[in-house]
Amino acid sequence: MERPGKFILNLYPTTKFLFAFCLMMTPLLLPGYLYSYMVPVLCLVIALIAGKTKLYVNFVLKGLVPIVVMIFLLQSFFYPGDTVLWSWSIFSIKQEGIHFSLQLTSKILAIGSSIVLFFQITKINDLSRALELMGISPKATYVLSAALNIIPEMRLQLLRIMDAQKTRGVETEGSLTIRMKAFVPALTPLILSSFSSTDEKAITLESRAFTARTKKTSLHHLEKTKSDHVVRALLVIAVVSILIGRFFL
Amino acid sequence: MSAIEIRNLSYQYPTGSEEVLHNLNLTIESGKFYALAGVNGGGKTTLCNVIRGFIPHFFKGERTGKVLIEGKDVQDWDPSDLAQKVGFVFQNPFTQISGVKETVFDEIAFGLENLGVEVDVIRQRVQDIIGLLGIGYIQDKNPNELSGGQKQRVALASIIVMEPDILIFDEPTSQLDPQGTEEIFRVIDIMKKKGKTIILVEHKIELIAEYADYVIVLQDGEIKKQGRTEEVLADEATQDFGLGLTQYTLLDLAMRKQHMHTERIPITEGDSVSVMKQWMEFQGVKA
Amino acid sequence: MKNFKKDFTLISILLIPIGVAVNVVAGELVEILKIPLFLNQIGTMIVAMVAGPWVGAVTGGVSKLIFGIFNPTQLAFMPVAMASGIVVGLMAKKGFTKNAWKTAFTGFIVALVAILIATPTTVIVFGGASGTGSDTITAVLLASGKEIWASVFTQKIFVESIDKILSIMVAYMIVRKMSDQYLSKQKYGHLYLNMNQNKHNRKIGA
Ligand SMILES: Nc1ncnc2c1ncn2[C@@H]1O[C@H](COP(=O)(O)OP(=O)(O)OP(=O)(O)O)[C@@H](O)[C@H]1O
Ligand SMILES: [Mg+2]
Repeated sequence: MERPGKFILNLYPTTKFLFAFCLMMTPLLLPGYLYSYMVPVLCLVIALIAGKTKLYVNFVLKGLVPIVVMIFLLQSFFYPGDTVLWSWSIFSIKQEGIHFSLQLTSKILAIGSSIVLFFQITKINDLSRALELMGISPKATYVLSAALNIIPEMRLQLLRIMDAQKTRGVETEGSLTIRMKAFVPALTPLILSSFSSTDEKAITLESRAFTARTKKTSLHHLEKTKSDHVVRALLVIAVVSILIGRFFL
Repeated sequence: MSAIEIRNLSYQYPTGSEEVLHNLNLTIESGKFYALAGVNGGGKTTLCNVIRGFIPHFFKGERTGKVLIEGKDVQDWDPSDLAQKVGFVFQNPFTQISGVKETVFDEIAFGLENLGVEVDVIRQRVQDIIGLLGIGYIQDKNPNELSGGQKQRVALASIIVMEPDILIFDEPTSQLDPQGTEEIFRVIDIMKKKGKTIILVEHKIELIAEYADYVIVLQDGEIKKQGRTEEVLADEATQDFGLGLTQYTLLDLAMRKQHMHTERIPITEGDSVSVMKQWMEFQGVKA
Repeated sequence: MKNFKKDFTLISILLIPIGVAVNVVAGELVEILKIPLFLNQIGTMIVAMVAGPWVGAVTGGVSKLIFGIFNPTQLAFMPVAMASGIVVGLMAKKGFTKNAWKTAFTGFIVALVAILIATPTTVIVFGGASGTGSDTITAVLLASGKEIWASVFTQKIFVESIDKILSIMVAYMIVRKMSDQYLSKQKYGHLYLNMNQNKHNRKIGA
């Protein structure tokens, strides 16, 4: 299992993106929803091979499943239509609603799961570097990397602040008002101290020539390999055959 | 040749009610080591920020007078040329990390990457600096996870790896124990021997006495005293500006009050030993 | 366009990752405390207040991008977050974040814009659902015979107005606590200098 996993993870970030993009777009080209429902499964298989199953499943369950369930509930009951499948007092499930829900959720699942997969198999630092090589400003990629770098730090700090407040008797459980009241005092010191570091950070970056107009180099080595070309070629073949199958046959 | 010329420099912070630097004039000679000392709030940090051009660039406010680096006002320098010319390490090590690098090695390389130095050269130079500062044991650690002292060493390494001609250090040892501080001074001394011009804000007087060529005493935004280290630190009046003298100097001064006149006033341990030896020989005491 | 570039000074750019992280962490805190709101654009609003509409918009956009890593449906709401940044920034420049009442009014405008953008997104992209508890409001409205657009619109009024006004009030409180020294370095920090006299000699947090 080691080798195919490495193969996927070692692909160039933009290759991974193209792959995810094709997964997202093909459901829009193909009629019906069966294929679209296959996409999350396909993504799961790839996540499995790449060793990212746990996070993939977690994010799909938390991010996508609730909304899919809600769409089914709302649309199958309230979508206008007359083919009643099941009813109870004023509520009735209609064929048209089910059909609409299937169509819509299949696309949401296909697009959503491709995005989840992409971010699970792509390191943001690799992505940043690839974007830089494409000519995106290093300031933009800095923002992306720095944000992801700060979040875990800030989380730790928040937990520390909340612990300190608990010992001082600030309640974080109970009625909604109590919980709301815990929100502001936990957050305020965290936000203030985080923002206060920005001016010295600017001095740090300026001292390290961050704003220099010279073309930057990077120790972060990123290179397209043969596998990238193979994957890209396969993607082109797949998309072209779908197009031919859909529009010419 | 002088590295930095400061002429009639005055500055007031935009939120301040009065000037923080008043009409300063100062010449910094190339290749010399200057210690900037004085009471808290005297304006040392402000002066460092002015010399590096961060005032008024980031801090706003009005700066009058001239700050010339190699004859050109610091405000007219191109940012990348300036970053290569003047290195700057400030007190707080916690904000002195780039925030985007995952290892100490990469963190130290950040400045060189920004200057577009070739990858092989970067690796070599970073490796050398890591050896110089003895931080090889943390080179693969995440910079966020270091202690204050370790961060301070990394901050220093990240700047000297860029090999600027002028190095400004604003209390670079605040988080370090005496031994760590000594090590940093040893590194700064190596930089001086390489011909770098050094401006160091520091309170630890023994180390200033040992290493600095010149001392500048700043108080209330004015230069109260400046001169060769052995003159400034041997002068009793220096104490009026909140600067302690070394124990060796104090001993000698106390002896003088008892009419025991040594040939000159020592400021360091080595100095003191030779002065004492001379004095005892003169007194006919066999050591 | 010239103004746009001018707002992106190094200090302003450095506010963006902090604002984004604040959004993420505040959003998580809301979940920990089980508060039935989002409150995940407070960072965007703070940045918009001190660094202007465009930097605020980027903060909102990047936040949604990061939220999207964990929950891809959030990506669809990127325009809402960006618009919030823009509205707060523009109102701030006009002085509408200088006191609590004006700020609340700004929050109201932000909510209005958010409702106008989020409603079509929710109806067209997600068939009216959001995957959160507030879907019950939509369901009740639909059951009472309202059609989907009206139901989602009404639900958004409930959710967004409370959320956005509360968020901006928190943002306002935090900006007020920033020291003059800190604010004077920010592009639009001068708007909040000396807002409160006895703050003059205190250095709080930032
Ligand atoms: N950003 C700022 N805005 C307004 N006033 C400031 C600012 N920074 C420093 N000051 C004031 O300027 C004066 C000089 O401060 P500075 O930090 O330069 O002194 P310092 O000699 O470095 O002191 P220390 O030994 O404490 O580091 C002080 O009165 C200080 O309160
Ligand atoms: Mg200082």
